[in-house]
Amino acid sequence: MALRKTNLQTQEKRDAYWLIAPLMILTFVFILFPAVSNFYYSFTDWKGFGFVNWIGFDNFSTMFQDDRFWQSIKNTLFLLLFIPGGVFIPLCLAALLRGGLKGWKFFRAVIYLPNVLGYVILGMVFNLFLRSNGPLNSLLQMAGLHSWALDWLNRPFLALLSLGLIYGVLMRIGFGTIYFLAAMGGIDEQLYEAARIDGAGWWTTFWKITLPSIRFNIEFLVVMSVIENVARAFSFIYTFSHGGPGYSTSTLEYGLYSLGFINSKMGYASAWAVVLFFICAIIAIMQIRLMRRPENE
Amino acid sequence: MNKNVKIIIYIVLLFFAIVSIYPLYHVVITSFKSVNEYLDNRVLPPIHWVTDNYKVAIEQGNMLYYFWNNIILIPAAMVFYLLICIMAGFAFGRLKFRFRLPLFLIILFLMIFPQMLLSLQIFQLCAKFHLTNSYLGVILVWTAYFAPFGTYIMSTYFSTLPYEIIESARIDGASTWGILTKIATPMALPMMGILVIIGFQSMWNELPFSLLLLQKMEMRTVTLGIAMIQGQYGIPDTTQSAVILIASAIPMLVFVFFQKYIATGAFSGALKG
Repeated sequence: MALRKTNLQTQEKRDAYWLIAPLMILTFVFILFPAVSNFYYSFTDWKGFGFVNWIGFDNFSTMFQDDRFWQSIKNTLFLLLFIPGGVFIPLCLAALLRGGLKGWKFFRAVIYLPNVLGYVILGMVFNLFLRSNGPLNSLLQMAGLHSWALDWLNRPFLALLSLGLIYGVLMRIGFGTIYFLAAMGGIDEQLYEAARIDGAGWWTTFWKITLPSIRFNIEFLVVMSVIENVARAFSFIYTFSHGGPGYSTSTLEYGLYSLGFINSKMGYASAWAVVLFFICAIIAIMQIRLMRRPENE
Repeated sequence: MNKNVKIIIYIVLLFFAIVSIYPLYHVVITSFKSVNEYLDNRVLPPIHWVTDNYKVAIEQGNMLYYFWNNIILIPAAMVFYLLICIMAGFAFGRLKFRFRLPLFLIILFLMIFPQMLLSLQIFQLCAKFHLTNSYLGVILVWTAYFAPFGTYIMSTYFSTLPYEIIESARIDGASTWGILTKIATPMALPMMGILVIIGFQSMWNELPFSLLLLQKMEMRTVTLGIAMIQGQYGIPDTTQSAVILIASAIPMLVFVFFQKYIATGAFSGALKG
């Protein structure tokens, strides 16, 4: 019996390796290898074709003196400033809706709709919407707010601000609200009952019961939002503003594309990729620690 | 609830509903305006409804090519994706083997990297193996990029299945493959619905890889195709609006029919554990 059991265990091990083999091969070839080989190419003058010359730390010293690099870092950090808004608004909406409300299903569908369409379509929609002669400005002028009708997409700071408000806040509301509502569904109703008996108001209940109970979910959404801003924004920026005007809405991720594929400076782009690699690695470790924290197991 | 409070909640909700839906509404009405009418009438519904924009979008925008490519690419990639996620998810969630945890953590770690960071090399890799402008290239890259998350979801699900059923099947002499196909997979069917939706949405909306790998017009996906149409010089806003709506049709239908799955799917990515 003991022998049979060990046999079974060896068999199970062997089977397990076969089952994960396709995933491991694909991810090693198409994710791990590309991510790691950026390190090698960051020390070369590679153009994406032709010979590759080793140039030491030249790319890095160029990078640290490159305005475009610092601009991208600043833009990426600026977008992170919108995360509190993108988390707090869904949190409030979910708390308001927790008790159930007539017509909620309709609102939920409408608020969630943009998430279905994907960043490319949404970027196009808001690009049309914010043009200087577009509908937003027409509406503002009709309302008599002529001085508010600005050239949203062609002024560097306005373009970045619009990107933050739309991508960082507006696009987070649908998912966030549904996510928090589902999380709040799991809170023990007796806690609210006890709070009511103690005479706690809505606001106190929100801070003292709702928020602490779904702390994990809030942290999770914050980390997810960081990932969306740092590592998933390319498609939206591509159709919303093409990183422009100038580089004013270009993030590190977007810069990789314009440097590597538009300017054919693959070696230099790889140096940027190395920086982005470390930023992503830190975020990934935060995320994994959050998901695997003992109390969440 | 107090009546005044309720009214305030409705106003807040209405505000966010309008903010999310108004730009889309504007795209709808614009797509039915003629170019001339749009010059004077930006905001109001069209006075003369025209469908020319749709004709131009389909004929000059080559939209049918793009849809055809999606019809081939997405189901094919989906089969690979499902197989890989189920197999690896089962192994990680259910089986004991050496290096299980480190390998699983590597997979979780690899999930985060942005497509562009990988594309610098993926493009070269695919060019070397003649995988640019080919369906196979995109299918492999998509599967590789999206499977880690799917595997994570499936492994969390498989690990919650009742332990006894699988253990007793094993004692009865069922092979791992037999347990996976005859017992575990049927039990995981509801989760697979969610997996299909997540996979579909990720692939349908994917831009960076297809942008670099599918350079020929005839090979473009819908998402890539419309992004390229936007970049062309001299495409009027009215035509662009029609293009947007045509491309939105399928994701919208999926949303309407699978709303329940999408809502739970949104949650499944963030389960504890």
